[in-house]
Amino acid sequence: MACVVFAQEGFRGRGRMIREIASTKVDYDGRFAFVRLRYQGGFSRDPGWAHDYPRADWHLQRIIEDVSFTRTYRDESNILTLDDPDLSLYPVAYMSEPGFWTLNEAEASGLRAYLQKGGFIIFDDFREARDWANLQGRMADVMPNLRWVTLDASHPVFHSFFDINTLVTEGYYGPAEFRGLFEDNDPRKRLLAVANVNHDLGEFWEFSDTGWMPVDLSNEAYKYGVNYVIYAMTH
Amino acid sequence: MFEALFRFFFEYSPAMFAQGDIRWAAWTGSFVAVAVTAVAIAAAVVSYRAGARLSLRDRLVLTTLRVAMLLLVLACLFRPVLVVRAAVPQQNVVGVLLDDSRSMQIADADGQPRASYVQTAFGALDAGTLKTLADRFTVRVFRFSSTATRVTSGADLAFTGTETRLGAALAAARQELAGLPLAGLVMVTDGADTADAALGDALLGLKAEAVPVFTVGVGRETLDKDIQIGRVTTPRTALKGTTLLVDVVIAQRGFDGEAVTLDVEDEGRIVSTQKVTLPAGGSPATVPVRITVDEEGPRVLRFRVPALAGELVSDNNQREALIDVRDRREKILYFEGEPRFELKFLRRAVTEDQNVEVVALQRTADNKYLRLGVDNADELVAGFPKTREELFSYRGLVLGSIEAGSFTGDQLRMIAEFVDRRGGGLLALGGPRAFSEGGYAGTAVADTLPVVLDANLRQKEGEVIRLAVKPTRAGAASAVTQVAGTEAASVERWSTLPGVTAVNRLDAIKPGATVLLSAPDASRREYPVLVFQRYGRGKAFAFTPQDSWVWQMHASIPVEDMTHENFWRQLLRWVVDEVPDQVEIRTSSDRVEPGSTVTFTAAVADKAFLELNDASVTATVTGPEGAVVDVPMAWSGEKAGEYKGTFPAAAQGWYEVKVQATRAGTDVGTAVSHVRAAPGEQEYFDATLRAGTLRRMAEDTGGRYYAAGDTSTLADDLRYTGRGVTTVEEHELWHMPIVLLLLVGLLSAEWGYRRVVGLP
Repeated sequence: MACVVFAQEGFRGRGRMIREIASTKVDYDGRFAFVRLRYQGGFSRDPGWAHDYPRADWHLQRIIEDVSFTRTYRDESNILTLDDPDLSLYPVAYMSEPGFWTLNEAEASGLRAYLQKGGFIIFDDFREARDWANLQGRMADVMPNLRWVTLDASHPVFHSFFDINTLVTEGYYGPAEFRGLFEDNDPRKRLLAVANVNHDLGEFWEFSDTGWMPVDLSNEAYKYGVNYVIYAMTH
Repeated sequence: MFEALFRFFFEYSPAMFAQGDIRWAAWTGSFVAVAVTAVAIAAAVVSYRAGARLSLRDRLVLTTLRVAMLLLVLACLFRPVLVVRAAVPQQNVVGVLLDDSRSMQIADADGQPRASYVQTAFGALDAGTLKTLADRFTVRVFRFSSTATRVTSGADLAFTGTETRLGAALAAARQELAGLPLAGLVMVTDGADTADAALGDALLGLKAEAVPVFTVGVGRETLDKDIQIGRVTTPRTALKGTTLLVDVVIAQRGFDGEAVTLDVEDEGRIVSTQKVTLPAGGSPATVPVRITVDEEGPRVLRFRVPALAGELVSDNNQREALIDVRDRREKILYFEGEPRFELKFLRRAVTEDQNVEVVALQRTADNKYLRLGVDNADELVAGFPKTREELFSYRGLVLGSIEAGSFTGDQLRMIAEFVDRRGGGLLALGGPRAFSEGGYAGTAVADTLPVVLDANLRQKEGEVIRLAVKPTRAGAASAVTQVAGTEAASVERWSTLPGVTAVNRLDAIKPGATVLLSAPDASRREYPVLVFQRYGRGKAFAFTPQDSWVWQMHASIPVEDMTHENFWRQLLRWVVDEVPDQVEIRTSSDRVEPGSTVTFTAAVADKAFLELNDASVTATVTGPEGAVVDVPMAWSGEKAGEYKGTFPAAAQGWYEVKVQATRAGTDVGTAVSHVRAAPGEQEYFDATLRAGTLRRMAEDTGGRYYAAGDTSTLADDLRYTGRGVTTVEEHELWHMPIVLLLLVGLLSAEWGYRRVVGLP
């Protein structure tokens, strides 16, 4: 059984006080489970990797199960580090606030193998001006030969379930852009990573059931999330 | 020995007794003798009865001996005669067939070639066995290998024939001697028949005409020291890049424990070398050889071991096999009913494979599909194929976690027909919507599957079966489940692969199905992981884990590890292996002797794989020098959709046969095959004396079998076959030594007994 050691001192609007979140794992049985990547860095009382946990993670799982035939854990998910061997059982991983991401050699090696073997990573909740350089730098540590490519709406990742025909959208932190890393730097090949620049899809997923976020924007955010997961399962 | 003993006791040959009738030639004195014998018997009975000193048992024994002796004398006085029909000298013909094949050069007849015996005994009409025949018969000598031709004597033989066709030779000789008073046929051979046709057919004709065949066996039934490539089983066609696991049987005698090197050449290039230690007791060694065929076209693979010291025959140390390697993309439809990682990793595993193309139809939600790898915008646009023509355009079908209820009844039948009629490969994967859990029990698809589905036995929802997969004995020896360089390394590799899971309850497999991979489940029963069976023209597989992708992703698997890719590549290639096209071509053999005729057939079907009998079918044969000949093919009339054609393979080399079928001006399809015209080495394989075969030939036709050098009675036996121009002979039997011996024996026994009981 998954063991969640999780203490949260309630929700007060969009602010929250997180005391401690321990790594947690579902009992693997073949279903899709959301993986939130845990890393060192950021503020110790409100670490960036944990932003929107667990509601964003569980909400996305529920939506995926409700709109598609994908089987998920619904109300359980994973928090794993990049060097955790169990990461390999979940070929889609999500990282929040990569602007604060720090990386040791074991983690770099773990992520490198994960991506090369077929894993897919989503970077979310960051600003270009403040955070992009760190994300770019850390990914250069992992996959030094890969170059970020700005995606356009014709890419299959935007049509794997929902048809997202335009990427011109206002992100959480400004005009959003979607960038990707491709296997062998060849855009015709597999997308290994996607970065939601200036966006915070997790924020929309988290609060989609509260009424604080516009429904249209929440729906759009889910579309990206669902498409990313279905793409990773099929490509 | 038997013959000599028989003649010693019975004066005449067994052949005479077999053919003749025993009759009585009684005369007047015979009847007088009856009375005299009766009196003598009565006297004996009375005399012994009166002997009061004798016990009843003694009286009975002595009376019986005396009566037997008297009756034997009486029988002789009735003049028993053997009435036989004997051939009239020089009025009858005997056909002598001499083996002219290369195996007769083997020097196992007391150090001399088998041919020497033929030259000595049948080399001239005025010497040896042939003379004894010529003294009584008109002799017609034939030499034979692939067929029989007339010669003057054995001196005309060269012993270079590349085939031994006993049946064809007998039929040819019988035809040539038809209408002549034929006493019988004499066949001098080692009996190593290389013909594909059964010998029984030729013997039937001879039996019908009551022509006896007298066989003379030359050579030895076993060779003291010999090693040969006994059997090599290879497929006729293979997809380019396929790794074949070929079992090579090395038969041997006299080389127990010896280490030999088995080399495999692909058109002169060595593709495999391995050391083999020959087993004890003259047992054959079965050696699995891995070969990857990566060159397109007809390839001759040569399997050989070097000649060893003391071997009588070294020409059988190599064997050739032809494989038509095809470079094409085999299209497989993968229908997945729920988004899951199995589809992604399966497709990735074969991305680099130029010869396997997986087209995926991913159902993501109700009536929502994602098409991957389609060739055009229309392909699968309406979801899973609704017509046979559309479905049968694929050569393999993979059913993922997709419930039976998502198909119409006709689609389920179509899937079954895909295997049964179209001859396609069906692979059913495990998953929550597969097998019984997917509602397939009782459907047409369930009939095709190699596992037994029971609607009442389903895995509880949410319960997973954790599997540590290992190959079964069949799996360890199969190329499909070989994930390392050798069988042992492969078994070891399987034991180190991470565990996977299954969610289907499978308690039994079908009779005739083969389990290649299995895993002990929680109750320690072997859970089937990879099972296959042939069904109709095609094959069906069940691969039950839901997450074999773990073999790629797991942390214990190095990035560069290719186990997952190799496994899927091998499995999918097997799924489409030998799946027929609309036009299929078959030749009678992949090698023919130069100068012989090649017979080939084409099977023609429409897009729904219904046989076509009204197609226009033409074969274009390209010879070794590039000469092109069109051969029109006609419906055979024997089998639906089957067309036949022949062409002469005059020159040595490769012949390409390309068959094209059209119907009502529309192209149905084409097929290409290759035939090689080359002298075969078959003569040297299993080239020991086949005394059993020759004995059976003789017995079936009423003839006799002789060992070479023991043919002294051959001419006599031929004289009494009862065929041809004959005269009736009567031979008295009363003076047979056996009669005298019996008389003396009975008298002595009576005298001896009397002495024992104290009578004078």
